[in-house]
Amino acid sequence: MPSRGFEEVVLPHLDAAYNYARWLTRNDAEAEDVVQDACVRAMRFLPSLRDDDARPWLLAIVRNVWYSRAARRAGSPERLPFETATYDPPDRAPDPEARLLQQQSVGQVREALEQLPPDFREVVVLREFEEMSYKAIASVIGVPIGTVMSRLARARDRLSALLRSGPLPMERCR
Amino acid sequence: MSCDDVARDLEAYVDRELDADSIAAIRSHIGACASCRQRVAEREALGRLVRSVPYRVAPDRLRARVVADVERRRSLYQWIAWATAAVLIVSLGAAIIFVRSATVRSDALVADLVDSHVRSLLADHLFDVQSTDQHTVKPWFLGKLDFSPPVIDLTPTGFPLVGGRLDYLSGRPIAALIYQRQKHTINVFVWPASNQGSAPRERAIRGFNVRHWVHDGMSFWAVSDLNEAELNEFVRAFQMAPA
Repeated sequence: MPSRGFEEVVLPHLDAAYNYARWLTRNDAEAEDVVQDACVRAMRFLPSLRDDDARPWLLAIVRNVWYSRAARRAGSPERLPFETATYDPPDRAPDPEARLLQQQSVGQVREALEQLPPDFREVVVLREFEEMSYKAIASVIGVPIGTVMSRLARARDRLSALLRSGPLPMERCR
Repeated sequence: MSCDDVARDLEAYVDRELDADSIAAIRSHIGACASCRQRVAEREALGRLVRSVPYRVAPDRLRARVVADVERRRSLYQWIAWATAAVLIVSLGAAIIFVRSATVRSDALVADLVDSHVRSLLADHLFDVQSTDQHTVKPWFLGKLDFSPPVIDLTPTGFPLVGGRLDYLSGRPIAALIYQRQKHTINVFVWPASNQGSAPRERAIRGFNVRHWVHDGMSFWAVSDLNEAELNEFVRAFQMAPA
């Protein structure tokens, strides 16, 4: 039966699927649609899961659904222009700035995270909220582990810059 | 361990992806290096800051929608499974009917062949061309059939060729080759094979033995009142002989 075990295998990760989709879409209704589509696909592909961990598998499906919806809607989803987006990490901050970093409100942090390009945003979300290993993150987004690490480094540099200085002009224009 | 090494392993360190030795090396370095200690502290602070944003759990209505979806699809899949089973059963039935009707058809064919054999003996119409020479019999068929049957003289093995005849079976003209064993007559009916080997190889009907084989796209049926052993010997000799 194609649907056997869906409740045991997929449903426990519904929150993870929604949280990830919500960060990708930045929109409640769209996140719900993405998750629902992903669950339908997950049900269909469940027999191919075998004994692997279901969470990265489900999140990879969520990601695919989101990308294909975004591609349908806009030609292609906003992607990080890796070639052009050269970014200089900020100088090492002295103590006062580190304290400033910690005075950010939850709202500001969320906003900064939402301003990150999706390729950066998703590695931070998968690492910090889902507490996934680099290996699991690599399997969700389909890149080598080394890429996960370098992307996390750049995403965090970018995020701390945003939190220190407010939105970058480039982000505002988008 | 240098400051560059720490920079390289910074993410892996705060994400606890390093092995114990590397962790110890970084700890001992940042114990002595204030600027690296600062970098690590910032990264850890950033992580805490991000994790302070509340995790967004799936709304109940989404959970309900997904469960309803799964139920609906599960019943759809069950329906498909039933429909598939039904189709399988019907096809199986059709296959059985097909095989049985094929058997009935091949039974009818064998009966026709035996009839033809008997008729050839009764009506004094055994030969259209009477010759023991394969080089006379084979050309005789030219222009009378749209195929050229292999004509083999089996005199050396004790089954002399005695002639050939045109026959008519299942709506088409066919070749009959006549061989003799003492007083027994063997009719070998030949026509281009339409399907490979679905008919039984050995039959006995009304005291006549029937042997069937397919070779080089030709269907062969040998019919005779000869006993089984000798007819088998004839078939072997026919199949072994160079055409």
